[in-house]
Amino acid sequence: MAKNVSDKIAELKTGVDWFYSDDFKLEEASERYKKLTDLAKEIEKDLSEMKNEINVIAEDFSK
Amino acid sequence: MEPVQVYSVSDFQAVCNQIMETAFSGVIVEGEVSSFKVNQGKFVFFDLKDEQSSVGCFMMKFALRFPLEDGMKIRVRAVPKLTNWGKFSLTVQAIMPVGEGSLKKSFELLKKKLSEEGLFAPEKKRPLPESIVKIGVISSTQAAGYADFCKILNERWGGLEVQVAHCQVQGMVAADQIIRALNYFNERGEVQVIAVIRGGGSADDLAVFNDEALVRAIAASKIPVITGIGHEVDESLCDLAADVVASTPSNAAQMLTRDRREIIASIKDDVKRTNNLFNTKVDELIDGNRGEMYRVGQDIVVRITTMEGEIAAQCKILEQLNPEKVLERGYALMKGDIGIDNVVEITTYKQEIKAKITEVKER
Repeated sequence: MAKNVSDKIAELKTGVDWFYSDDFKLEEASERYKKLTDLAKEIEKDLSEMKNEINVIAEDFSK
Repeated sequence: MEPVQVYSVSDFQAVCNQIMETAFSGVIVEGEVSSFKVNQGKFVFFDLKDEQSSVGCFMMKFALRFPLEDGMKIRVRAVPKLTNWGKFSLTVQAIMPVGEGSLKKSFELLKKKLSEEGLFAPEKKRPLPESIVKIGVISSTQAAGYADFCKILNERWGGLEVQVAHCQVQGMVAADQIIRALNYFNERGEVQVIAVIRGGGSADDLAVFNDEALVRAIAASKIPVITGIGHEVDESLCDLAADVVASTPSNAAQMLTRDRREIIASIKDDVKRTNNLFNTKVDELIDGNRGEMYRVGQDIVVRITTMEGEIAAQCKILEQLNPEKVLERGYALMKGDIGIDNVVEITTYKQEIKAKITEVKER
């Protein structure tokens, strides 16, 4: 199932947290950082392109 | 001569009522209340008057959605009627206070009553859902406030499913329309929050949001309600009954959504900070190795210096053992067989000497 933007934002946060954690390993850092930047670009694109769907209900509330 | 129509009294009264109903179905009349009274807890009587005239009014108590007192200026929607006793009166369908004084008085009376019932109690308030995807909006789609709401909503966030119930948001029919829209959303249960939106206006324009039935409908909504009515300074009873109050329609849109621009900026900041952290950690590692190399270098220097010292000492000892040094101090080296008349070679610091032995004796 495709991830929605909220999932991606949560994933980015986890990715950033890794750099601050004790799990940080220099050997993995470069690749992880690249993935983070790619994910950030993806989120920015998603956020910029998202549109709302606004529909006026057909129901007549005057009756 | 045309035949003259003769009516019975009852027929005449019925015809009069028919004509008045046709001519004035739902007439709006404005005046001041006097002789207000409620009979048997359900029948409301009062006179509506101005400087010259007065007309009797009747209505059912359940239709009285604003508190009334003598002296209040109100507007009624009514049907004129000739009663069986020949008395002319207005059968009132709806009322609305008009003018600052009446609106204020009505507002205070109803606020007190509903407060005592606990309709505005803080513990009844529900927070807005964490992640909002479906919103029900009750507003007039022609209103500026609705346009502001949509503009801010679209600027800030996307991917929302917004259902809009188009209603009148001022006037005597507005409250019932808004109540029907509230019921519509509550019966379907499809939206996570209902936003009641109306831009700024005069106190009379906003009076509908102090309608008792509407206030009760908002308080009873199963779905959380946010109101964005009027400007910052306006306070309505609907605001007090709502779960969340926004100061304006635009503010309601802000409260319902996250700002995508802020999120993008925050993400960029996160990535930048991570990059800085990454670089710092690499620098720290390099600095750590550099220190280790310096320490190893220093160790080597110390060892070399020590060895140099040892070698110098050994050289000094060797130097002392050098035969030339002994000769230099005045000694001589003799080579050859010891015996009378034998020739031996004698080496001094400066000479090579051959000498014949003339005598040998033991020491």
